[in-house]
Amino acid sequence: MGEGSPEAVLRCEGLRKSYGGLVAVDGVGFHIAPGETYGLLGPNGAGKTTSISMIAGLLERDAGEVMVAGKPLTTRSTDAKRVVGLVPQDIAIYPDLTARENLSFFGRLYGMPKVELKQRVAEVLEIVGLADRAGDRAEEYSGGMKRRLNIGIGLLHRPRLLILDEPTVGVDPQSRNAILESVERLSVEGMAVLYTTHYMEEAERLCDRVAIIDSGKIVAEGTRRELVELVGQHDRVRLTATGDLKAAVDAACAIDGVKGADVIDGGIDFLADRAGDRLIEILTKVGASGVIVSSVRVEEPNLEAVFLHLTGKALRD
Amino acid sequence: MGVPEKGCDAVKALVIGANSVRRLLRDRANIFFVFMLPMLLILVLGAAFGGGSDPRMGIVAEGSGRLGAELADSVRQTEGVDVRDYPDKDALVVAVERGQLEAGLIIPVGYDDTLRGGGSVALEFVARTDPTSQALRNTVDSAAVRQGTLLRAAAFAESQGVMEFSDALELAGRVAEASPEVLVTQEAVGEPFVFQRLGTFDMGAYSQLLLFIFLTSMTGSSALIQSRRLGVSRRMLATPTSVGTILAGESLGRLAVALVQGLFIIFGSAIVFGVDWGDPVAAAAIVIVFSMGAAATGMLMGAVFKNDQQAGGLGVVIGLGLAALGGCMLPLSIMKLFSPGLWRVAHVTPHAWGIEAFEEIIIRDGTVADIGLQLAILAGFAAVVFVLATWRLRVALTRS
Ligand SMILES: Nc1ncnc2c1ncn2[C@@H]1O[C@H](COP(=O)(O)OP(=O)(O)OP(=O)(O)O)[C@@H](O)[C@H]1O
Ligand SMILES: [Mg+2]
Repeated sequence: MGEGSPEAVLRCEGLRKSYGGLVAVDGVGFHIAPGETYGLLGPNGAGKTTSISMIAGLLERDAGEVMVAGKPLTTRSTDAKRVVGLVPQDIAIYPDLTARENLSFFGRLYGMPKVELKQRVAEVLEIVGLADRAGDRAEEYSGGMKRRLNIGIGLLHRPRLLILDEPTVGVDPQSRNAILESVERLSVEGMAVLYTTHYMEEAERLCDRVAIIDSGKIVAEGTRRELVELVGQHDRVRLTATGDLKAAVDAACAIDGVKGADVIDGGIDFLADRAGDRLIEILTKVGASGVIVSSVRVEEPNLEAVFLHLTGKALRD
Repeated sequence: MGVPEKGCDAVKALVIGANSVRRLLRDRANIFFVFMLPMLLILVLGAAFGGGSDPRMGIVAEGSGRLGAELADSVRQTEGVDVRDYPDKDALVVAVERGQLEAGLIIPVGYDDTLRGGGSVALEFVARTDPTSQALRNTVDSAAVRQGTLLRAAAFAESQGVMEFSDALELAGRVAEASPEVLVTQEAVGEPFVFQRLGTFDMGAYSQLLLFIFLTSMTGSSALIQSRRLGVSRRMLATPTSVGTILAGESLGRLAVALVQGLFIIFGSAIVFGVDWGDPVAAAAIVIVFSMGAAATGMLMGAVFKNDQQAGGLGVVIGLGLAALGGCMLPLSIMKLFSPGLWRVAHVTPHAWGIEAFEEIIIRDGTVADIGLQLAILAGFAAVVFVLATWRLRVALTRS
């Protein structure tokens, strides 16, 4: 699916927003095809929510363009917003209404006819697992239940583009799994999904493509494989060890398949192809040089590592 | 999707409005505000302005004899006059001075004897200087003329030697009751001085009503601020709903409540206490356009302020301030006398126009046609403020 592809459900480019002197979003652009799930991965303050708010037509932008299903979308375009579903990062529901009332209310604003709405509300209540509490006021829900209702409102009108801004923060693993499953199912049905998260596992599990965003800019974008290749396709072996670490590094570097090694604080970091196969060999060599190893960790390359490599920062503080 | 847009917007505004009313009524604390307060106001307005349509007249008839009592009865039987008896002239004069009575009639001691003896007697009439007392004076005059006619007939019969004066008088009375009457109905014309009863400081129930519904319509501000803080206003903007529709919906809820309250107060106080509101259609029209301006003002405040306590407090200050400036506390007619400049400034408030409209329909018996200018200005005020509020809400929602 090329850059200017007409089939893209979402196409945005050159998004810019500054608050006073602070440039919160600086030239963000990407596109999402039907059925594709696109992840925005970045630390706190990277500009994820600001980008999403501009895309959903909630925030006036300084520059840039957003096209949804071929129509330009601004804060004023009610027509293009019809096909977008938004799950905001901050829970936005009426605490004094029940889940069913909250869903029905927003469903009406999406212009859903009453009869269809009633049936769909019941479906969504099932999806987010609130069917048995549907008649209780939202203020009586736990944090995770409120969050599930928050998600439900975004799904209600079967949008062509579903935007989820860190939807699973504070949700227990079981409900989180249910939510991820429903997002996967929607994606299979052809819905385009824009997903921001701090959780690496979610991005890796859900997203067909991921953009890494930092300080308002997308620093890398691609499938997981593409991103991993950016950093070099190596596993990482991390030893916690004491002794003559420098000698151990020299010794281990001679092993076939070991691409590099560094002395780090309190241990050694190796980069290797198929590290699992070479672990015994590495440990033997290191042990022979008089170093005492207290723990070993093998990491396959993941987005966290990519992120660290690209930005020099950990994803979560 | 080719859904007709305008109808859609109206439906959405209604959905938002209905939702806000539902939430308002769900909170028990608001039950007082929505239902009890108007009832309270009906009682207050009824006590102050109810039943005031019948002018009150005091009569002193001690020692005036049979003819005196008959004259007093004749006045008492006049329709539309509330007659009370007083023991002496002093008490009566004080009551008139204090505004407890519009007028008083003193029938002197020995009235009966003097008349039967063929002498003439002066009746004393005490009154305030207003049109009502003039009408009461006419009532007394016609009662006296009626009695005088009988007396003259009886005197004529006696002078002709037909029968005794007392018998002749009785007969004349019976004959008069059976014979047809000539009735004169009275109608006030010209412009009366609006502020008639200075003594009781009568401001009119309508000024209290306007003050009240402006305040209640403005409470929409805190509802809007709450929605903004909950993030639901923004979420509404994520749906295919324009800022104008969102605002129309948010104001509609409180507007409906204020309207129901206003009409309830008008009809309640009119039916139970006979408070005069003039032509009901015109009164309803004033209340509707006036509330719209108030609701729009509430929305403007709700769009500008971030804190609902702040907005609520300021709302009361603004509501009372505009009411005071607009003539709800000091009558516009007085204001005009003392400071024409202030009177002109007062007309930036919707209250001044609302009051003038009510005066037109209550005092000058106007209809909707007579208050077209006031209604148009009130509607214009609502429209301008609503546009301002939409602009501010749009900025508040999409610029930060
Ligand atoms: N309304 C605002 N006024 C001023 N600065 C803002 C505003 N909203 C966001 N910012 C700033 O813009 C930057 C990007 O914020 P944004 O909320 O988009 O980050 P984020 O990637 O969503 O972070 P998080 O993961 O914590 O949600 C931050 O530096 C933030 O302080
Ligand atoms: Mg965010």
